Amino acid sequence: MRNGATSESRLARAVIMAIGLGFFGLFLLMPLLVVFAQALAGGIGAYLDAIVEPDALAAIRLTLLVAAISVPANIVFGIAAAWAITKFDFPGKSILITFIDLPFSVSPVVSGLIYVLLFGAQGWLGPWLAEHDIQIIFAVPGMVLATIFVTFPFVARELIPLMAEQGRDDEEAALSLGATGWQTFWHATLPNIRWGLLYGVLLCNARAMGEFGAVSVVSGHIRGETNTMPLHVEILYNEYNFIAAFAVASLLALLALVTLVLKSLLEWRYDYHGKGTGH
Amino acid sequence: MSIRLDTIGKSFGGFTALGDINLEIEPGEFLALLGPSGSGKTTLLRIVAGLEFPDHGRVFYDGEDITDLKVADRGVGFVFQHYALFRHMTVADNVAFGLTIRKRRDRPAKAEIRDRVQKLLDLVQLGQLGNRYPAQLSGGQRQRVALARALAIEPRLLLLDEPFGALDARVRKDLRRWLRELHDRMGLTSIFVTHDQDEALELADRVVVMDHGVIEQVATPQQIYDEPASAFVFDFVGESNQVPVTVDGDRVIAFDRLLDVPPATLAGMGGAARLFFRPHDAEIVGEGANGLAATVTLVRPNSGSMRVEGKLEGSDRLVEIDVAQGAAPGQGERIFVRPTRAKLYAGTAG
Repeated sequence: MRNGATSESRLARAVIMAIGLGFFGLFLLMPLLVVFAQALAGGIGAYLDAIVEPDALAAIRLTLLVAAISVPANIVFGIAAAWAITKFDFPGKSILITFIDLPFSVSPVVSGLIYVLLFGAQGWLGPWLAEHDIQIIFAVPGMVLATIFVTFPFVARELIPLMAEQGRDDEEAALSLGATGWQTFWHATLPNIRWGLLYGVLLCNARAMGEFGAVSVVSGHIRGETNTMPLHVEILYNEYNFIAAFAVASLLALLALVTLVLKSLLEWRYDYHGKGTGH
Repeated sequence: MSIRLDTIGKSFGGFTALGDINLEIEPGEFLALLGPSGSGKTTLLRIVAGLEFPDHGRVFYDGEDITDLKVADRGVGFVFQHYALFRHMTVADNVAFGLTIRKRRDRPAKAEIRDRVQKLLDLVQLGQLGNRYPAQLSGGQRQRVALARALAIEPRLLLLDEPFGALDARVRKDLRRWLRELHDRMGLTSIFVTHDQDEALELADRVVVMDHGVIEQVATPQQIYDEPASAFVFDFVGESNQVPVTVDGDRVIAFDRLLDVPPATLAGMGGAARLFFRPHDAEIVGEGANGLAATVTLVRPNSGSMRVEGKLEGSDRLVEIDVAQGAAPGQGERIFVRPTRAKLYAGTAG
């Protein structure tokens, strides 16, 4: 049955859909189900025990702490970088645009190693830090730094095209009406970028909580102290404690699902507003 | 408010946007900055506003040097080509913005702000639309909101950057007339940027014609049209014919033929020159008279008269003249055109 240049035969359509759905089921849906199935394999009681266990709680707390520090830091950096790139012309601008993507293109292990090289005992700043009794590597500050590094592009990348498209008119209008720099940002810039910003924050948060490689290098894996959830999952798994490992992993999977739902909602909102059809 | 610009210069990278601009604007004047894109007119407007700062030169408001004052402290009304309304605010909130952001001691009471906003909305004939959002308005309505917003801070100087550029022709014409009335009624000093010569000639008290970052002429619309100070102005404002000629004493030679021009045109000219004349400042003469020889390529009606287009003999150039409706030659006919009013500029044709 052919009724147009782009219409495929029924068979071809079926095959294409089967391939798409098959891959989705095999590589996305099934693993997700396995996570929850394994987590609940010992019953609800064992599942809850694994989650309220002190080391697991410590890992959850640390994950939330790292995200609570690195996400706001990235909001500030992201807005500042996007602002600088889109609203001003300055030397080195194109280099900045290129390097904002660096954390995406480099292996997370390297991201972690950078900080070991900088702040580790044998690193450049190591002796000075030891002298002043400041510990960064194998401690929370190092993990926060590594997380900020790997999540750096999320907010900035979301905002740069948005702010570039919007230009400087709104800001200049606010300034010409007597607004201060802060009022201009608050009343003219932020409302225009809020949905894009939220979107970036959401992705940034998901990555901050889920980051493994970079954090693993600088963590030191001290149970109850420097383990985030992904690291905790790995340790439990290596100890053949599958139920506990999958129980904690299921929390991360839940986070992913919540993120996806919020992301879809935001995209819907974003589109709706992007078309300029009002409120 | 009077404005004086003293040797204003500005470049972006290696590109000279403005070169040593001197200009004085009288209180109550409605001034147009007219020029093609890249002529520096918008940059000049933005420097007057404080949105851009000159590399050198000073800007004076009422004799006071405000060159280093930021736009927020200058108290001027600025209207953008694409309105720049705050999308997330209602029309009324947009208009009130300049008042509500003031420090508490300078801010009028809420009720007073509301009154003033309503008065402004009435003034721009949008009294009923205060609760709408900008996206729900037409282009012309949005530009009027932008104007009301700029007027809310009670500026003495109103600056408009291509205010009608994004509107369709009909709305543009209405809004133009209305803006002129508003300017007169409120006793403002206004400067607007445009690339549309009709707009400049219709609206402004004086027109500043700019090209490549320099002022070509500052004059009333009538003078600009009748006495263009340069070949560029003649070419840019109104319709014109351009013919390369050689001036030898009191003789003018165009494409190896002697050409009679009005004697006043010749003053101080010699050598290669460009002859400019408007289509309505020419007549068809007999073969015996000294006119430009041309072959008629097109005849069409043109608001009350007939427009005759011809190809000049000995060149690819076209000449356009207006003749009375009964007197139009036929297509393909050989005619001789003599300007009745013309201007000569030294130099070879561009």
